[in-house]
Amino acid sequence: MTSEQIMTLFGLMLEYTVPTLKIFAFTLLYSIPLGMVVALLKMCRFKPVSWLTNIYILIMRGTPLLLQLIVAQYSVPYIIRSDICPQFLKDMLGGVDIRSDSYTFNMMLIAFVLNYAAYFAEIFRGGIESIPKGQYEAAGALGFSRLQTFFRIILPQVIKRVVPASSNEIITLVKDTSLASAIPYMEIMYIAKKQVPLYASLLPLFMAGAFYFVFATVLTALFSFIEKKLDYYR
Amino acid sequence: MKKRIFANIAAGITAAAMIAAVGSCGSGSQAETTAAAPEPAAADNSLQKVLDDKQLILGLDASFPPMGFTNDANEIVGFDIDVAQEVCDRMGVTLVKQPINWDNKEEDLNVGKIDCIWNGMSINDSRKQVMNLSDPYMNNEMIFTVPKDSGITSMDDLKGKTVGVQSGSSAEEILMASDIYADITVTALEDNVTLLNQMELGFSDAVFLDSVVANYLITENSKDYVILPGNLEAEEYAVGFRKNDQALRDEVQRILSEMKADGKLGEISTKWFGSDITTVK
Repeated sequence: MTSEQIMTLFGLMLEYTVPTLKIFAFTLLYSIPLGMVVALLKMCRFKPVSWLTNIYILIMRGTPLLLQLIVAQYSVPYIIRSDICPQFLKDMLGGVDIRSDSYTFNMMLIAFVLNYAAYFAEIFRGGIESIPKGQYEAAGALGFSRLQTFFRIILPQVIKRVVPASSNEIITLVKDTSLASAIPYMEIMYIAKKQVPLYASLLPLFMAGAFYFVFATVLTALFSFIEKKLDYYR
Repeated sequence: MKKRIFANIAAGITAAAMIAAVGSCGSGSQAETTAAAPEPAAADNSLQKVLDDKQLILGLDASFPPMGFTNDANEIVGFDIDVAQEVCDRMGVTLVKQPINWDNKEEDLNVGKIDCIWNGMSINDSRKQVMNLSDPYMNNEMIFTVPKDSGITSMDDLKGKTVGVQSGSSAEEILMASDIYADITVTALEDNVTLLNQMELGFSDAVFLDSVVANYLITENSKDYVILPGNLEAEEYAVGFRKNDQALRDEVQRILSEMKADGKLGEISTKWFGSDITTVK
């Protein structure tokens, strides 16, 4: 490839960092709160809820994200066609335009969010359970209510403890966004893959790799900064 | 708009709930679609629907030069695209180029995400079964290409060598069914360009692929590859439609014949291949 071609391709890839960042940002925005809810559901004392949550986490962590992305894309047309689907659901889903770009994006996002929420849930649960029971008892003795205990005493400590594990997951997400190219959704990896036959060169793939590397490096620096900031009371 | 987003989200939640069920649903609903087939066939509104929507959605892999591929400005271009554009112009509809994952092309067609598959698709038995194919519009040969200084000059020299082939392609099927298959080691990879690169780096000795693609890649990128004389099997390209969409298929076929007759098809073929190599009647 000539340097001129490389510059053209670089410009194109720069343009498509926006969709990549869009997947990344929206997935975090929804999966972290959902992960907290799932963590609490898993620790629910009413056992059936805990079991159902376990099954959800097992499926999400036990099957490839790539497969989940594909299943999400085809779920709506297949649900409408299936015999067991109740009529009201068919009517509701019938209004979905599976040819629209927003459908492709939304279904992809749902798969990403559900998958990442399962991983975050386990990280958060680990964090919450790592706080010694004695702290709850002490808080109770000092007259804190259960909600106050959780939000003012437990949660600040949990946040400190889950940051390293979460940063791991978040950096993995940067690279997992490239799975969207299999849908296909136009982001950096899609552009790279489609430019390979044009130039008969693998360089576009290496260039895409550089983009992910830069994102990951920025995030690594950001998280080491956050960890330092949270490094109080030690 | 808001309602649609809500519907999508609702769809997603249901999808999540049924995500386990869908696994088994996948094979089950395929049977359903074939079972349900005769019903809508009675009233074939496929052509009318395209005319009403004022758009024909063409599904393609967008990485198959020179038939349909992505240029440096991320626009989808190629011989098939030019022909499809002309067909759409004559039908008075807009051509929508929808990139798809080639592995799921039958599904995308089936669920209605696209109206046709038009991307240098070879005719074979399994595709004949699941799609309503147009008449063939171009001949294609399956050939071996080797590096210039490899010392391999005929198909007999390939014995004991490693041959690369695109996975999931008709080339792979043909190679596996051929007599030469027992004497060679086959490596299957996602796309032809990666295969050619691997051959250049010494991972394999030859690549088995479509002559149309090989010729284009060799001349376009001035590579030192040689095409071995002879081919395993001649193939034909066709456009794929949904099994029931007879009216749409016939209309596209009629326009293609019309374009062949008035010379437009020859003109597009000359632009991409230097001469009229189409076989439309």
